[in-house]
Amino acid sequence: MKFKDYYETLGVARDASPDDVKRAYRKLARQYHPDVSKATDAEARFKEISEAGEVLRDPEKRAAYDALGTRRDQERAAGRAAGEDFQPPPGWDAGYEFSGRGDAADDGFGAQDHSDFFEALFGRAARAQGARHASARMPGQDHHAKVLVDLEDAFRGAQRSISLRMPALDEQGHGVLKERTLDVNIPKGIREGQHLRLVGQGGPGVGDGAPAGDLFLEIAFNPHRLYRVDGRDLYLDLPLAPWEAALGASVSAPTPEGEVELTIPPGSAAGRKLRLKGRGIPSNSAASPAGDLYVVLAIALPPADTAAAKQAYQTFAKACDFNPRAALQGGTP
Amino acid sequence: MSHSFAIDIVEEDVQLTLGQLCRATRAPEGQVHTWVVEGVLVPEGATPAEWRFHGAALRRARLAATLTRELEINTPGVALALDLIEEIESLKATLRRLR
Repeated sequence: MKFKDYYETLGVARDASPDDVKRAYRKLARQYHPDVSKATDAEARFKEISEAGEVLRDPEKRAAYDALGTRRDQERAAGRAAGEDFQPPPGWDAGYEFSGRGDAADDGFGAQDHSDFFEALFGRAARAQGARHASARMPGQDHHAKVLVDLEDAFRGAQRSISLRMPALDEQGHGVLKERTLDVNIPKGIREGQHLRLVGQGGPGVGDGAPAGDLFLEIAFNPHRLYRVDGRDLYLDLPLAPWEAALGASVSAPTPEGEVELTIPPGSAAGRKLRLKGRGIPSNSAASPAGDLYVVLAIALPPADTAAAKQAYQTFAKACDFNPRAALQGGTP
Repeated sequence: MSHSFAIDIVEEDVQLTLGQLCRATRAPEGQVHTWVVEGVLVPEGATPAEWRFHGAALRRARLAATLTRELEINTPGVALALDLIEEIESLKATLRRLR
């Protein structure tokens, strides 16, 4: 496990005042909050910032972390520190307020959002060591995770193996994150942004007979090669040749449930939408009907790269008395 | 590994009690109270014991909880941020449709 320099994460000096720490934290948190930031690494950065803030803004945790850092510096100076690898010494947190205090209402979001380093020092598993002595019964925490599925899964339903890192205690009683695999049935009709609740699959309860928490999985779709998704509705761009759009045609178009034959009305302009009712994401409850598939027409021009094609374009131009810019006339004063 | 457990789609099948919402968002009851009073969340039911939150409130409440805790935004600020975030999402959805 790597020692984390929380001061570096927040860009403050070790002797920074609580106000300076708070200011630095707030500024970075606003900048990288995944719900507001557009940066691609926002989520990862935010987790680090939030973890550093959680430790350095809490006087007790900061004091314990500082003591640990000082001790580590001394060991390094004495040549006793084993490279990058770091393990908190046993009983390092004795005497600090957070030690064994059990669950806290202002806890960080999912325990799985914390690093191994944090989890070993301040995590729920680390705290559970203390809580084991207490007789309090506490239901397990609810956990949250995101899961990526394919659009096709929403049409047919699917089973997905999901790996989660959950806090647990190892044989020495250290708080660690354990990998856990769950087989989850993705129900047909699921939409992006919806949540699945897996009852009793969250954190274990503390104390005899305390129920486990629930696991919430937020669904997101992998981007699809053909379809754009809006709720239950799908959008497909369908390219047409100019003559198909002008004269009307019968063309085949893909849908997630197989090809269909589409009648293109004569005189179809680019951007025209044809609605295939009920061909979007299927319904999974009486309250919400199946979505629709919108076919958005586009017009593709054949290249004028042969003598015959050029000739055809010239004939076309002669045959039509057509000024595509008629509507722009009178634009100059 | 094989497991058997109940799976609900929160937004379709689930109504959350105050206690369940607090657990799922790790927000103290008093905090959820304030959100209801300020109109951030709109449960059915007259008294807190009878409150039932629609499944779709989970996402809103989780956002409210993270904004409160991590950005230290006050309740009117949270309400404003939630409305703006939802507006941005609907604009993004429109962009995706038109792309």
